[in-house]
Amino acid sequence: MQPNRKTLRLPSLALQCKVKIMESNWAAENLQTIRTLMERSAVYRRALAPLMLFAGTLGVAAAIIGLWFHLDSMRAFGTLWLGTAVVVVAGALLITRRQAFKDQEPFWSPPTRRVAQALLPPLIAGMCLGVVFTGADLAGGFTMLLALLWVLFYGCGLHAAGFFAPRGVKLLGWSFIACACVLLLAAALRNSDLNLKAHWLMGFFFGGLHLAYGAYLYLTGTGKHAT
Amino acid sequence: MNPEPYLQLNRVIHEKGRLAIMSMLAASPELSFIELRDALAMTDGNLTTHIRALQQEGYVAVAKSFQNRRPLTTCSLTTSGRKAFAEYINLLERIVQQNRPK
Repeated sequence: MQPNRKTLRLPSLALQCKVKIMESNWAAENLQTIRTLMERSAVYRRALAPLMLFAGTLGVAAAIIGLWFHLDSMRAFGTLWLGTAVVVVAGALLITRRQAFKDQEPFWSPPTRRVAQALLPPLIAGMCLGVVFTGADLAGGFTMLLALLWVLFYGCGLHAAGFFAPRGVKLLGWSFIACACVLLLAAALRNSDLNLKAHWLMGFFFGGLHLAYGAYLYLTGTGKHAT
Repeated sequence: MNPEPYLQLNRVIHEKGRLAIMSMLAASPELSFIELRDALAMTDGNLTTHIRALQQEGYVAVAKSFQNRRPLTTCSLTTSGRKAFAEYINLLERIVQQNRPK
């Protein structure tokens, strides 16, 4: 039996249209996958190990200075740690710039920009809080509260930056947040001071944890590749 | 409708695994074998096969060195690899554009 040519033509045309739409959908999905993979590839790895080691060393040094000279008043505590933060940020920028120059890459690369954008809001909020506490020269007991709030803000910043950096950064952020929350809750439940020197706390988090993560990156070599 | 763009797609890059490798390398100057393997959740053997295929086409350059006394294999896109990848993307964009309702 001869097939009816008229009835065959219409389904064939419809099929062609369907194939074209499928091709288009497939191409769009592929482009999206490529974009996602490219974004995932361009994570921030520039000088991460030296940055962590630098921040950790300064953190430990600041804690030792604070404990040695008994800088326990809010004004002295705030000034010491805000000053340390400014030096760390300036040093971090210099280290990053040096690494970019060495690798013949632009300093303000897309991964650097994304990490900076993620870190900035909590860092600025923390610094602002520090200036307010220090300026008001609150009682010495508030240094612990300020230290815990700084740990919390910094953890949030690290966690946000972790979306554009190796997985460990996000974990580090989580550990800052979790520890700060536990200590804040413990202080609230006991309704008293934690009997801890704020300098010890700052030294442990901003010195010890940075040094530990920096050493891990350095030994595993994961913080050395530039992007 | 023009059927050409789909037929022009580079068959070497078109394979899913190789396309993923090319996409990752296109966004970084170089990536280590381990970084690629972990990011793409591929087995060592699978990744080696795909990289070899791309290397044979001249799209990927592989460098072997040592870091902390451990062997380090790094991959990067060659100039022709970058060009082929850009052409592949352009073709995909053309396919999408062609079928976009006007």
